[in-house]
Amino acid sequence: MKILRILHKEHSSLRTRLLIHCAGILLMACIFWIFISMYEISRVESRQSEKEIQKYLDLNYIDFGNPLDRTLFRESLEIFYKGQTQRNDSLLTAIDNLRQRQFSDPSYKTVENPNGLTWQVLQKLGGMYLQFIAVYAVVLLVIYFAAQRIAVYRFIKMKQHRESYISQAFDIVTGADKKSAGKAAALIIKAFLKGMLYMLLFSPAYVIAYSVKTTIDTSSVIFMILLGIISNGVLIHTANKFFTFLTGESRKGYIQTAVVKNLNASYEWNAPEGIPIKTMLHIKHGLRSHVFQAIFENARFQFIPALKEHASFLVTGLIIIEMALNIQGHFCYVLLQQILYRQYDIAAVIIFGIFLAVKLTEIVIDIWEYMEKKKYGY
Amino acid sequence: MDINTSIRKFGFQDLFNRKDLLWLIIWIAGLGLLWIWNALFLNAPAFARLQTAFLNSLLTGMMVVVFSLVLGWITGVSLHLLERSELKTGFAILSFVTDMLRSIPQIIAVLIGYVILTMLLYKGIIQSSFIQLIWIAGTISIAVFLEVADTIKQRIDYYRTLDFVDAMLCCGIKIRRIINIEILWKNSKSHLLHKLIAIFGVSIFLQCSIDFIISVGLSTDVSLINFPMTLGNLLANVDSKQDILALSNLFTDLGYLPEIFKRHLQGLSVASCIVFSLLCIYMIANGFVRRKKLI
Repeated sequence: MKILRILHKEHSSLRTRLLIHCAGILLMACIFWIFISMYEISRVESRQSEKEIQKYLDLNYIDFGNPLDRTLFRESLEIFYKGQTQRNDSLLTAIDNLRQRQFSDPSYKTVENPNGLTWQVLQKLGGMYLQFIAVYAVVLLVIYFAAQRIAVYRFIKMKQHRESYISQAFDIVTGADKKSAGKAAALIIKAFLKGMLYMLLFSPAYVIAYSVKTTIDTSSVIFMILLGIISNGVLIHTANKFFTFLTGESRKGYIQTAVVKNLNASYEWNAPEGIPIKTMLHIKHGLRSHVFQAIFENARFQFIPALKEHASFLVTGLIIIEMALNIQGHFCYVLLQQILYRQYDIAAVIIFGIFLAVKLTEIVIDIWEYMEKKKYGY
Repeated sequence: MDINTSIRKFGFQDLFNRKDLLWLIIWIAGLGLLWIWNALFLNAPAFARLQTAFLNSLLTGMMVVVFSLVLGWITGVSLHLLERSELKTGFAILSFVTDMLRSIPQIIAVLIGYVILTMLLYKGIIQSSFIQLIWIAGTISIAVFLEVADTIKQRIDYYRTLDFVDAMLCCGIKIRRIINIEILWKNSKSHLLHKLIAIFGVSIFLQCSIDFIISVGLSTDVSLINFPMTLGNLLANVDSKQDILALSNLFTDLGYLPEIFKRHLQGLSVASCIVFSLLCIYMIANGFVRRKKLI
């Protein structure tokens, strides 16, 4: 109770946040540990009962596939356990079930991990996990930078009061200048290409991957990173979030004051008081005398904590990619396999690993936000 | 009447300024066009499956929106009330739980829901397709409702800083009425509607993805055919996968393009339905933000 009270009192401080994260990790670890232990107990119990049943299957003079043998066995049971019809029926059903499982259950046929969670399995998973984390980190970094640039480009376009290509084409078509039909056609083609690009960015990863599967090696790490960046709408949603912050910031009073005080405020590309297009490469330090610099820095400051929710969505995207493309030997595909083989203890470890990745991202982002706040004297 | 006058008469120019409505029309028109094309060229059983899948996905999406609104509303308001009450422990526990939930990637939450659904199907506890859809919608809602809860809490926190809340309290109006009716219902409808549109898009994405993923199988006893037909489920179908794979032919032979629209129509239609819907829903949400000046 005392801890909870402290947690509430200092809810916003970094130490408390870290404490909450650690408590979350610990709690989740406990939940998974209890689940794995209980699953192990039930597995041992089911193995013991299987052993009991296996004794009957080991009788080499009885063929349980033969109706005559089955009837004989059933009658023998009646003699030994007279009047216990239900018990005898259950035993025969259990024998049938085990025989069926031995034929159909993948864990009996192709089992790699017959003993569930072992040190070897953990080592194997560890390697896959590191690869997953590496891909995740690269994709997150690329998205962080790319989303900012896309949002800034969109923001500047908005400030330039550019209408959409279709709207411009519409104006030309409805306008008096009939000679500009070529220009209108070019605008429509541009709009179509933009639409296609949007379609690509919103496509779920599996749609893109399957449509290029026969020409490109879709199981490579590079392709996975590329898919992680461009598919599932992650990039466009992250860029949209940053764009929202930019727009919100640009409407604040201090920006209007800065404009009145003659800070550069033109959004024309490469104009003397405008925005040099090369600034897109280093936005953070490229516009010292422009009002956009303040807008960008303040939007970026708000964007840092917002990255947390995008990180979770990004992990979702990567999981979808690994699972949907059936990339053998990848962390999340193994999760799906383990669920199919009912190795829930291994599946639980993988899920905990994914949870840990998200939590670690949140911790890093919280520390980063704290340092940024300190830099600005908060 | 020249083209200029007629276009203005139909108010097309006005539509460019109301992008949400424009994109809603584009979405409906696009789907209508796809429906007509499929009615002409797609074989009848596949066409019937496509329609069922689309309607099921739409229905699940709508249910997710409703469930998320209810869950988010309850959580958001509870968080606010607990924060201001004497029950600080209650607030700490609830915010800790929501923090934990936030750290679980949505697809994992949905996957766990599907694993449980598979077990229930295996044991024969759930049989009706409609109940399965409700279960799926409930699972997705748990993964996404926090976005609604956050919006609700933000709105309440914002309005609590204004004088009108204190004024209403002085007039003897109950805090529950102020929050639920005055703040959320009367002054936050647009914000909530925007969030719900976005959630509708996310739910379509998650549902299609999970259905596609589990085509590998979640159990040896329960397979894809045991689940209700959805867009993701139909895309995971071998025929559809073959159709999507056929798109690769275009890299080597562009002349194959007309064939794609006839021979590989099922997969192409499903994929288009998913991608086009996701794009349009995003655009509708964005247009709505602009029209209602939410930023």
